Amino acid sequence: SHPPIADLENTISKNSDVVSVMSPAGCSHVNGFKVDNWKQNLRLIYQCFVWSGSVETRKRKAKSCICHLCGAHLNRLHSCLHCVFFGCFSKKHIHEHAKNKRHNLAIDLLYGGIYCFVCQDYIYDKDMEQIAKEEQRKAWKLQGSHNISSCSSLFLPLSMFPVSSLPGLRGLINLGNTCFMNCIVQALTHTPLLRDFFLSDRHKCEMQSNSCLVCEMSQLFQEFYSGHRSPHIPFRLLHLVWTHARHLAGYEQQDAHEFLIAALDVLHRHCKDDNGKKANNPNHCSCIIDQIFTGGLQSDVTCQVCHGVSTTIDPFWDISLDLPGSSTPFWPLSPGSDGSVVNGDSHPSGATTLTDCLRRFTRPEHLGSSAKIKCSGCHSYQESTKQLTMKRLPIVACFHLKRFEHSAKLRRKITTYVSFPLELDMTPFMASSKESRMNGQYQQPVDSLNNENKYSLFAVVNHQGTLESGHYTTFIRQHKDQWFKCDDAIITKASIKDVLDSEGYLLFYHKQFLEYE
Amino acid sequence: MSKETQMRAAINQKLIEMGERERLKELLRAKLIECGWRDQLKALCKEVIKEKGLENVTVEDLVAGVTPKGRALVPDSVKKELLQRIRAFLAQQST
Repeated sequence: SHPPIADLENTISKNSDVVSVMSPAGCSHVNGFKVDNWKQNLRLIYQCFVWSGSVETRKRKAKSCICHLCGAHLNRLHSCLHCVFFGCFSKKHIHEHAKNKRHNLAIDLLYGGIYCFVCQDYIYDKDMEQIAKEEQRKAWKLQGSHNISSCSSLFLPLSMFPVSSLPGLRGLINLGNTCFMNCIVQALTHTPLLRDFFLSDRHKCEMQSNSCLVCEMSQLFQEFYSGHRSPHIPFRLLHLVWTHARHLAGYEQQDAHEFLIAALDVLHRHCKDDNGKKANNPNHCSCIIDQIFTGGLQSDVTCQVCHGVSTTIDPFWDISLDLPGSSTPFWPLSPGSDGSVVNGDSHPSGATTLTDCLRRFTRPEHLGSSAKIKCSGCHSYQESTKQLTMKRLPIVACFHLKRFEHSAKLRRKITTYVSFPLELDMTPFMASSKESRMNGQYQQPVDSLNNENKYSLFAVVNHQGTLESGHYTTFIRQHKDQWFKCDDAIITKASIKDVLDSEGYLLFYHKQFLEYE
Repeated sequence: MSKETQMRAAINQKLIEMGERERLKELLRAKLIECGWRDQLKALCKEVIKEKGLENVTVEDLVAGVTPKGRALVPDSVKKELLQRIRAFLAQQST
């Protein structure tokens, strides 16, 4: 049921957590400083000693930023705003200078804050804050792209956190069949690297209008991790999605997978490449979406006559897997063939597993005599086989189980149970593994030291019901072993068994180990 | 200045010059958020504010009230990783 607009506004005023924006608190003691060419002088100080973007300023900062009294570079170094003097804050050297010279203002070289010795506190003058923001941005741009941090373990045990504070858990109000959006938002807000990116304020917006989806996502993350417990109302997000992805507009139920791809696409387009280049080149984009979600799928077409191989690599954000029971042929695979040994599939009663689906996805396929490909070696059309493998794995791998069939004959939902693991090793499905198999090398030992291809499940989106009327929910993982079920506004604790027994529609896996680039 | 202090200053200079210090800061920031340290510090700050009163509290009160415990709460794994990174960087510079 869709709430009429009047009701919506009522709901908003009752449920919203109003965050009052505090205007910066300045002080009158800056007036003595704000004379002549003060803006330019302040900018110079930021550029040279606080946020040094260029090589020369960095060199100068390295050499000159030491305390004039004791020579130390630590101890919260501050610079006097009235003259060239650097002094430790912790050791009160800058305080001495302020008293002796009656220079009341100083700037923190670590974070750029302005300290007033009369007020004895940091002050936030509107004009100075503006300059600080602009200089930080400039230096940021000069620094170039920032690489993903390396982490050896992304999911830490719950015991580290006091139970009273579990930030990041928040329900989402359903605005009228919008569970398809809510379920994806829950998955995204619990993607560790994406969360780190937004909570560290890494998005610097270049868009002129208010319709930047990345900014809205940033806001959303702030809301989720604000500590507020009441459900959030994502009406701005919904409106932006309708604006940028017209095919998803309207109050009908949409496909969560379609929403995921559309959302990633818009976010990718709205993220500027950190080096200032156009963000829209799929091969060279370094926006956060591409860094996290984009993998490379290799397609090898082998001519059956000359055995020449033609290879292409295409980027992907998700892997869509056919299921048994669909109208596409799903042949049972012989036991023990690639994949089952590594991932230890031991499901009783022969239920289909995720690795079964992946094996099918990566098996060589005869294209048949009606689909001959022009072979550049034979210079004629020949029968060929095609095989897909993973060339480059994304940090977050999303598997889409194709449960909704929209063929010419029928529209139905395939409810076949597919079992999926908590931990997944993608090694058998890699292009490199295929090559070593073809060269006659033995399959990688199960406990190989190669951790690069190991993944952990962190979110599962489920669909209950039929094609015509259904409902989406998400299981998300917090810390190492805590799972929660997100059902629109209702968040409940879930067991690992609940998660693994669920039908599964979208499965989100995160690389366990990241390399530092 | 002692030899150790001199060495520290020299290393610091190199880190700043090569922009590595900024990168390390970013890395540290992300890791401290990831492991929940920032949330713990937020809670500590709230306590200080409650104690001193919202109208009277200064940045100095917060720094003094939170720094010792905050330093102790940094996980060993994070410290270890940063140290490793710095070592690797220095090794790179000497070749």
